[in-house]
Amino acid sequence: MPRFHFHIEENGRLIPDEEGQEFLDGDKVRKEAIATGTSIARDAFMTGSACRVVVDVREENVPFMKVSITLDVEEKAEG
Amino acid sequence: MSSDAIPAALVRRLRIASGISDEDIKAIHALPFSVREYPAERAVVSDGQRATECCLIVKGFCARSKTTSEGRRQILSIHIPGEIPDLMSLHLNVMDHDLMTLTPCTLSFISHDALRLLYRRQPNLADLLWRDTLIDAAMFREWIVNVGQRPAPARLAHVIVELRERLKVIGRIEGNSFEMPLTQEQIGEALGITAVHANRVIKQLRHDGIVALHRGRVEVLDDGKLLELAGFDGRYLHLSPAL
Repeated sequence: MPRFHFHIEENGRLIPDEEGQEFLDGDKVRKEAIATGTSIARDAFMTGSACRVVVDVREENVPFMKVSITLDVEEKAEG
Repeated sequence: MSSDAIPAALVRRLRIASGISDEDIKAIHALPFSVREYPAERAVVSDGQRATECCLIVKGFCARSKTTSEGRRQILSIHIPGEIPDLMSLHLNVMDHDLMTLTPCTLSFISHDALRLLYRRQPNLADLLWRDTLIDAAMFREWIVNVGQRPAPARLAHVIVELRERLKVIGRIEGNSFEMPLTQEQIGEALGITAVHANRVIKQLRHDGIVALHRGRVEVLDDGKLLELAGFDGRYLHLSPAL
């Protein structure tokens, strides 16, 4: 089974995934990457620790997929 | 294993949490225990199964979990020696979740018939074990608050502090370190996050000098910071007859 590593970047700070995980198909990898990115982004956006989260998925060090989530808040003067 | 050693952790906890009498302790020791060894990550009793006995953990760690139709597993609780995680099966005949071992375990089984007889002979003990299942429910309420409302680092901190408080009761803390034998994936399943997010949270707590998780053990680096992050209030564990 192919092994995938999910490296996280928060505002450009890299948190490497040394262990990695095995997945049967690409669709499961995609779901895992999105679930990981959105749940990390939720915490980071709420605490204000970052406004951009990237999940850089690699299959044995070869880029496989990148999921980017950016916070974009537009504050209106009256609000 | 001597017959007194089998329920030792259970008796110790009931002494502290519920003030059990010597007569009731004698009745527990007289129960017909059937001891069996289990390897790690093995089902003890599964969702949909009809149980005829309850399982007292003598040695090792277990977890209860439930899996969605899409195959996503939620760990519901972690269990330590002295606990009877499926005591409810005495009244709820068909299991509505799974009970599995996390580590190699020594489990001691008590038949439902023996427990019913005990309850009839020692109504006090029936009350104590009822209280025990109510505390179990209180822990589930806290688990829901944890998974539903706290950010992931606080969720992990809360699970760690709760486990430490429970291990303290049975004398299983060594200095500032104790056992928490969950893989990164299982920590994710307990906190309702992916294994990669769990990895990120574990690294953050270590980087912030709060706790270090390594090979199934927790080392507390800063107790004050840990308690603050967890927002822990241990009342729900009811670890005294007065609570």
